[in-house]
Amino acid sequence: MDPFSTLGLSLRFDLDVAELERRYRDLQRALHPDKHTQASPSERRATLSKAVEVNEAYRVLRDDLSRASALLAAHGVNVVSESKADPELLMEVMELREALAEARATKNDAAVATLAARVKALEDATRRAMIEGFAANDFKKAALSWTRMRYLRRFVDEVNAIAEEKENAAARGV
Amino acid sequence: MAYSTKVIEHYENPRNVGTLDKEDENVGTGLVGAPACGDVMRLQLKINPETEVVEDAKFKTFGCGSAIASSSLVTEWVKGKTITEAMKLSNTQIVEELNLPPVKIHCSVLAEDAIKSAIEDFKRKKAARADAAK
Repeated sequence: MDPFSTLGLSLRFDLDVAELERRYRDLQRALHPDKHTQASPSERRATLSKAVEVNEAYRVLRDDLSRASALLAAHGVNVVSESKADPELLMEVMELREALAEARATKNDAAVATLAARVKALEDATRRAMIEGFAANDFKKAALSWTRMRYLRRFVDEVNAIAEEKENAAARGV
Repeated sequence: MAYSTKVIEHYENPRNVGTLDKEDENVGTGLVGAPACGDVMRLQLKINPETEVVEDAKFKTFGCGSAIASSSLVTEWVKGKTITEAMKLSNTQIVEELNLPPVKIHCSVLAEDAIKSAIEDFKRKKAARADAAK
């Protein structure tokens, strides 16, 4: 079952986050083992596996990237095999990653912050394009946005790693 | 998941990291990415236009240890080979040499694609020059 159906939500990318949280909490409560102490062992096992499924669905839907790939999969689009990155995107990503590596190596915090802000704007634009793609049932456009978002996410991971490294260094008093 | 000692060795001492002038007519550049994980890899080869032997190879990879090790390894392998030999390189050789686990096979595919697209870029440039000379 797709994660949207598991949580009783309609198949859409820009879902209502409050609604998602509410569905998740309600189901979690209903499936809690304490509520099924009188059930037979096989029923308890079924409840437990349903609870695991609910947790997994929630994890997938909470994040833009995994929610988008689940939505594309529900429409029969395999995002990874169908997203041959175009050279322009790769060039852009390579350039950003090189600039970030340079800023990291030279401990240029201002440059890191500038790059992070630039990528944040790119991410926002990509998210908007993705919403448009899904709204128009244009899965090709949505899949392209997904690929773009995937590469940008790796950049953000790197920014977070740099921040963590800095915090650790500060904690050690370096 | 533990990395093999060979992966760690290449990761800690990557060979041939750097860039070649991509405007150089004898330099082929391959730029590839893995959408599944968001890794990007640029691999460049300097090729002798007469003998078609790979004289130099450089790479830059932003990705996991296996992706870095795979690109480091292939730059070592292709140096001194003709581009015909280099085109025969397959990702399974990388997998075997580095002992990559199944989840990291796509890293070796990426390195193979990078070599091939660098050679294709060189060939494209050479063909364009031949056309221009006509």
